[in-house]
Amino acid sequence: MDTTTAHQQMNPFDKLLDKLCLTPAGLLGLILLFALPYIPPFNQEYMLRWLIYCGFIAAMSVGFDLTAGYISIVNFGYAAVSGFGGYTSALLVINLGLSPWIAMAAGGMTAGVLGLMIGMISLRLRGIFAACLSWFFGLAIMGLATKMVWLTRGPSGLRTPRLFETDSNVPFYFLIIILLYLIYLACKWVVRSKMGLAFQAIGQNMDAARTSGINPVYYRVFNFTMSCAIAGVLGGYYAHFYGILTPDIMHTGKTVEVLAIAYIGGRGSLWGGAVIAFPFIFIMEIIRSSLSNLPGLNLIIYALVLILVMIYYPGGFSYFYDTNIRKVKNKALRYFFNGRA
Amino acid sequence: MIVLETENLTKKFGGLTAVNNVSMTVNEGDIVGLIGPNGAGKTTLINAISGLNPPTSGWVKMFGHKTTGLPPEKMCQRGLSRTFQIPSPFPKMTAIESVMTATIFGNKSGKVHDPVQHSRQMLEFVEFPMKETVVAEQLNTVQLKRLDLARALASNPKLLFMDEMASGLSEGELNDIMRIIDKISKKGISILMIEHIMQLIMAVCNRLLCIQFGTKIAEGLTKEVANDPKVTKAYLG
Repeated sequence: MDTTTAHQQMNPFDKLLDKLCLTPAGLLGLILLFALPYIPPFNQEYMLRWLIYCGFIAAMSVGFDLTAGYISIVNFGYAAVSGFGGYTSALLVINLGLSPWIAMAAGGMTAGVLGLMIGMISLRLRGIFAACLSWFFGLAIMGLATKMVWLTRGPSGLRTPRLFETDSNVPFYFLIIILLYLIYLACKWVVRSKMGLAFQAIGQNMDAARTSGINPVYYRVFNFTMSCAIAGVLGGYYAHFYGILTPDIMHTGKTVEVLAIAYIGGRGSLWGGAVIAFPFIFIMEIIRSSLSNLPGLNLIIYALVLILVMIYYPGGFSYFYDTNIRKVKNKALRYFFNGRA
Repeated sequence: MIVLETENLTKKFGGLTAVNNVSMTVNEGDIVGLIGPNGAGKTTLINAISGLNPPTSGWVKMFGHKTTGLPPEKMCQRGLSRTFQIPSPFPKMTAIESVMTATIFGNKSGKVHDPVQHSRQMLEFVEFPMKETVVAEQLNTVQLKRLDLARALASNPKLLFMDEMASGLSEGELNDIMRIIDKISKKGISILMIEHIMQLIMAVCNRLLCIQFGTKIAEGLTKEVANDPKVTKAYLG
């Protein structure tokens, strides 16, 4: 939460940026992302598909970081919750003929309800125990999706209608970038309010938080619900983009991918994972496609990078950015990286 | 006026009775010292009262209302605050943010108009020696204890529990903490403090409560309790 009181003498542009939770550098990055599909070599369709996957993981890592970075509970079932939202959305479209857009929102809501349940059940658990519980939840949901063949068609995959009736990937790309930004904005607004302070207090020291008057039940459940609802919406996007849904989307490996990105990006920053996802996942996809005779190599690289970051630089990219880049001496650059000086 | 009253308070962990039938009172304006040998159950007693570890049996009354087993966040809003033996603010937060947490959530809505200003005053009040933007994990124990005290005071309590505020302090720091305790008391806050340093206890406490093996062995005015043969025996064996 902001403790400075120098808000008054800002010009309207800075005020707007502040409301939008962006720095000038962030705004430039966002514009660059929107321009990317027109810049060669990224204007090729297969590259766009990679970029869309980058955006998907980036958005997932923002939602994941809301729980992992603020209330310090690692939701190992995050991909499963996302898949749950995706299946809900897909089944609503297929069986009830709903529009994919509405179904996506419905998927988010049901995933939110699932998050509410996980949050309630894991309330008395701390740290690793809550993580395990959410993981088991995820495994159970994945098991259900695999076994309930009459509903989900199991591993052979569920065909789902796509969001846009076009072969081009460009509209999908724009949509995921908009989703990514909206999710970031929503999370940022929440953590900037009083609620963010409560999240951090609960995550860092439960006893001190409680004796300071914070009711952990409300804030933890709220946090879980919000983060899972985000995963659900993204699951819906995933389903209606790829056009086919298999239980693989719920695999723990997917959670680990999101977790690695969120941690390398920097826990508790929200934006760190979103920024890191684009170069990192992109390189991963290149490695995966050029070394297709070595499946699983990308997971080994994730593990290695994650271990190195956890040991030598636990703050991740956002910490590096905050301590080195934000503190430049040059005034113009300083404004560029920090927004209002 | 009686601020805090307990009757037959008992806390059992399985077969172990950590606090056994303790009845005690804290009056308005009191500075009560809670003394006893290591492992006597002092911290367990205040955990039981403040709700972190609810009692097995017996009751607690605060300001005339029964509060037995209420969670700590409710106790905080009713005017009970506490510091921790191992000072434990929020490691990644700055000093001012830690205090603001208690300012915002400890006060029932609307009582504090400017949380930042209020938190700053609290840090000044406990004579916090560092800048308010310092991150808590960079502080040493003495500074952390001050910060924890500021956090505890930020919720405007009427009753304050202090768990070994002065352990490990040097002579000069001891004088500082005595002065601060005096200031807190002058604000009209009643204090219950766990302490081992007799010098401090004799100087600031007006009443003492001594427990051993979870059982109360003496309660009364400081001089009387300190000279009680049972208390001397408990300490010296």
